[in-house]
Amino acid sequence: MGLLSKKDAKLITDPLTDNNPITIQVLGICSALAITAELKASIVMSVSVLFVLGLGNVVISLMRNIIPSKIRIIVQLIVVATLVIIVDLVLKAFAYELSKTLSVFVGLIITNCIIMGRFEAFALGNGPWKSFLDGVGNSLGYAVILIIVGFFRELLGSGTLLGIQVLGDPIEKTGLYAFGYENNGFMLLSPMALIVVGLIIWVQRSRNQALIEEN
Amino acid sequence: MEHLELFFKSIFIDNMVFATFLGMCSYLAVSKKVTTAVGLGAAVIFVLAVTVPLNWLLDQYLLQEGALVWLGSEYAEYDLSFLSFIMFIATIATMVQLVEIIVEKFSPSLYNSLGIFLPLIAVNCAILGGSLFMQSREIPSLGLALTYGVGSGIGWFLAILAIAAIREKIRYSSVPPALRGLGITFIITGLMAIGFMSFGGMLTGGDEEKKEKNTEATLSNNLEKESKVTSIISAEKSENEEVADNIKEIQN
Amino acid sequence: MSKKTDSNSYTMIFAIGMVLVVGSLLAFLASSLKPNISENKRIEKQQNILYAMGVNENDESNAIFVSTSVAEQEFKKYIKKQLVIEGDNFTEDEKAYMIDVKKEKSKAKNGGTRKLPLFVGEKDGKTFYIAPIRGKGLWDAIWGYVAMDENMIVQGAYFDHKGETPGLGANIKYRFFMDDFKGEHLLDASGNFKGIRVAKGNNDPKNEEKTDYEVDAIAGATITGDGVSAMIKSDLKLYVNYFKTLKQ
Repeated sequence: MGLLSKKDAKLITDPLTDNNPITIQVLGICSALAITAELKASIVMSVSVLFVLGLGNVVISLMRNIIPSKIRIIVQLIVVATLVIIVDLVLKAFAYELSKTLSVFVGLIITNCIIMGRFEAFALGNGPWKSFLDGVGNSLGYAVILIIVGFFRELLGSGTLLGIQVLGDPIEKTGLYAFGYENNGFMLLSPMALIVVGLIIWVQRSRNQALIEEN
Repeated sequence: MEHLELFFKSIFIDNMVFATFLGMCSYLAVSKKVTTAVGLGAAVIFVLAVTVPLNWLLDQYLLQEGALVWLGSEYAEYDLSFLSFIMFIATIATMVQLVEIIVEKFSPSLYNSLGIFLPLIAVNCAILGGSLFMQSREIPSLGLALTYGVGSGIGWFLAILAIAAIREKIRYSSVPPALRGLGITFIITGLMAIGFMSFGGMLTGGDEEKKEKNTEATLSNNLEKESKVTSIISAEKSENEEVADNIKEIQN
Repeated sequence: MSKKTDSNSYTMIFAIGMVLVVGSLLAFLASSLKPNISENKRIEKQQNILYAMGVNENDESNAIFVSTSVAEQEFKKYIKKQLVIEGDNFTEDEKAYMIDVKKEKSKAKNGGTRKLPLFVGEKDGKTFYIAPIRGKGLWDAIWGYVAMDENMIVQGAYFDHKGETPGLGANIKYRFFMDDFKGEHLLDASGNFKGIRVAKGNNDPKNEEKTDYEVDAIAGATITGDGVSAMIKSDLKLYVNYFKTLKQ
């Protein structure tokens, strides 16, 4: 990482741990619950957020000195919405199959609090390169949580990973199922995603005592 | 009646927080104290109550395919639905800006405690979700849109009120330190959501077809049972007759 | 923030400027990409209809359509005629597959007569009757195509959705669900329409029982499954009269 100064590198690594957008900043929860029943969807969503947040942070940062303070929320929202719609339209025209996978997420990306949150907290006050790095860092932090939750939900809920049966065949009763193991269908329901994230927070704060909340 | 049904449906069965998990970010971050939660909840109800009907009008007369017919019949082919997101967000952001100005003027302490989450109402998935659901579920009238908006808002309000109350109480319980605060809130919300799933069984009407089918099925089942029973009885009867005949024969 | 960006007039100018820029950018994109997008949608419809009747490139476990480059030819090859049923009459129409089912449904809601497209395909000597269906899932619209023989026994089905949950409701377009419909009966022994219900507790996970009018539901996707049952019932019921005329 020769081209990244230590401070810059921190912009990427901080959100992966101590300043994680989901578990510390409490942003981006809705999508973390809604689409993590399947590992593949978690990955697609993470990549989309990476793209929109990275690019969006740069655009807002470039515009930061000309946005009128009274309407800055609206402007931020319009920038995100426009970016997402452009991506959606271009995909629909040139990569139709991919766009079908993504159109489910379009709404979720626009309202993802992480994007707005980072615009407000960082891009509005920093230069484009730093904002880009911040965008990348936060998207990666988001991706880590999404992938962990997606991994457990899909594995324990359907016995598959990325669509491939890894524990055996539940209908033919091979593999683990031959011993009487049954898929925990409950894991596929969103409330379980909340509980898994709660457990992740537990692990994270046990490892880093500084994050524990005072009573 | 439709209104009452939609009202209760949007509070309990389609509860924005527990059934569709919209608006979680502000829900989790602002529920530390009941007073702030009530403030945010009230703001959400107000914004939803205004934006859902407003966006309904936009959808009907501007965005839907063929909506522009009132301008002239040559506009019947126009489909501006790709602008839905932006238009809805614009109305919502404007309303939120208005709410921000009002709250800052009348209750500066509330304004301070809400912090960034007041402007974040604009991007609160619950608010946008309310308008998007109104569009995708094709809510047919302005009055129903209003009912839906108010109902969804009240549902969200109840959810954040409940979790805030629990969080205030739980500060006096011995929660493991690493779970304190956010962690235990996630888990409690998950449990509450599981509890709310039970409302799914409270389906009211609109399921007349299902009910018809069920009653048909039970009726035909009953008829089958009846005919089975009658055939058993007649079989028994004929058996008895045979036995009686045999006895008579033997007696004779 | 400098004073300049705080003044009301600047705010107004910026707002108007932004609206103009964004509006024209999106309008430009939308209109220039529209022909591509419409063409993609048209080919997709053909692929879906062919899929339902069994013309596809499925491997062991995945649903794969015929490729976009050959879709048009395959469609012309296998679909022998396309009908539009209106009330008691039916006419042939080469563009029947482009009929917007959503529009027809709202027409019917407002009291008009709905146009019902039906596609007649032939493959390996068998005749398939394919009908489009449409309904509501948990989050947004769901739709599909159901291919039947002359006794309204399902020969194949294709489902799709706009925004169902990935891993749950979105699984209605997976083989394990769509294949379950093959061989299921829609009519009972006396010719009355019974539909097919996506049911929990079906007790028939391998779906060997074909006259139970039921198909195993997807765990965690109850409402989407209910939407599938509802759209099969409401839309396919409308074709019963046509199938009766076939028998005459």
